[in-house]
Amino acid sequence: MALGMKRVLFAVLLLGLSPFILPINAQQPAAPIKADQITGLAGVANKTKGSITIENGNLRFAHGKTNVDLPAASMQDVVTGNDSQRAIHGTLGTLTMVAPYGSGRFLSLFRTKLETLTIKYRDADGSLHGAIFTMPVGKAEALKKELVANGAHTSVPIQDDANKTSAKVPDAKEQKP
Amino acid sequence: MTRIFERGIVIFLLSITLFAGRGLRAQDKLPAKIKASSISVAMIQSDEIKLPAEFQVALYEDLIQQLQKKGGFQHVYREGDRNAANAADLVVLHSTVRGFKQGSEQKRQLTTVAGATSIDVHCQFTDKDGKSLLERDIKGKVTFFGANLRATYNFAKQAAQVAHDNFSPSPGT
Repeated sequence: MALGMKRVLFAVLLLGLSPFILPINAQQPAAPIKADQITGLAGVANKTKGSITIENGNLRFAHGKTNVDLPAASMQDVVTGNDSQRAIHGTLGTLTMVAPYGSGRFLSLFRTKLETLTIKYRDADGSLHGAIFTMPVGKAEALKKELVANGAHTSVPIQDDANKTSAKVPDAKEQKP
Repeated sequence: MTRIFERGIVIFLLSITLFAGRGLRAQDKLPAKIKASSISVAMIQSDEIKLPAEFQVALYEDLIQQLQKKGGFQHVYREGDRNAANAADLVVLHSTVRGFKQGSEQKRQLTTVAGATSIDVHCQFTDKDGKSLLERDIKGKVTFFGANLRATYNFAKQAAQVAHDNFSPSPGT
């Protein structure tokens, strides 16, 4: 009888403590990924620097003090790709192009590899939007996986995406009807 | 002396009549604009051409931004917008990529003459029922300055200009 009482007490204790245990096991939000929003995110100007996190099933783009949330469930297509940009870009990069003795051309040899994350999504009115983000190499695929796990759709299966997009670019030749 | 003066006046009057006539004929040649107060932009199609997703999305977004800026329409709707169903004088823009050459920004900066990126897009403006109103082939190109995606911006600017030149909220203006 005493053993049975102890078991009941233990079970009650476990039940009582369970709310405190669950939040510890819950998925922690991943560290923010530095990204540039190239175009398409509603309410954000083109070429805005910020950071991306995935929280509560939303892609959150934070820039300055503003946060823009994009529900993963509203995403019709998520595709990753590869790109590169000049190591010295922006206004300074443009100015270096007119530098003397061909030094601007020499500087253009130095480039940084990037990954792109392209998202097609629908807003509350059903309107189709497209957003493009660039980020450091190795981040886009992980973000895509997480978005798909949260309900986003993709036209390119996850395991094939990196291979397909990297193979697509060199194959792209001018084709006319 | 008087005769010379008279002849001068006659020549002056004749030339005025001639130029006025030319002006009127030129006005006659201007095509009347099609009445359209709003436009719905369909997502860019590229069934025959392998187009990277970022180019497809950039074409679509740049097109919408340029039409809002320069198109002269009261409303620019995106594909799927439920509000477009009630819009009067709605025109739908369908764009199909017919040619694409992805260049290289690095090549452009190194050689100046090589590495251009170009996109050929067939644009079809239709009414709500799908009847074609206007068709144009428009090319977006980046030859020297800028990243590859600038080609989409150049295309969008030209497409918005075509829309501005051919459509107006009030007919014939």
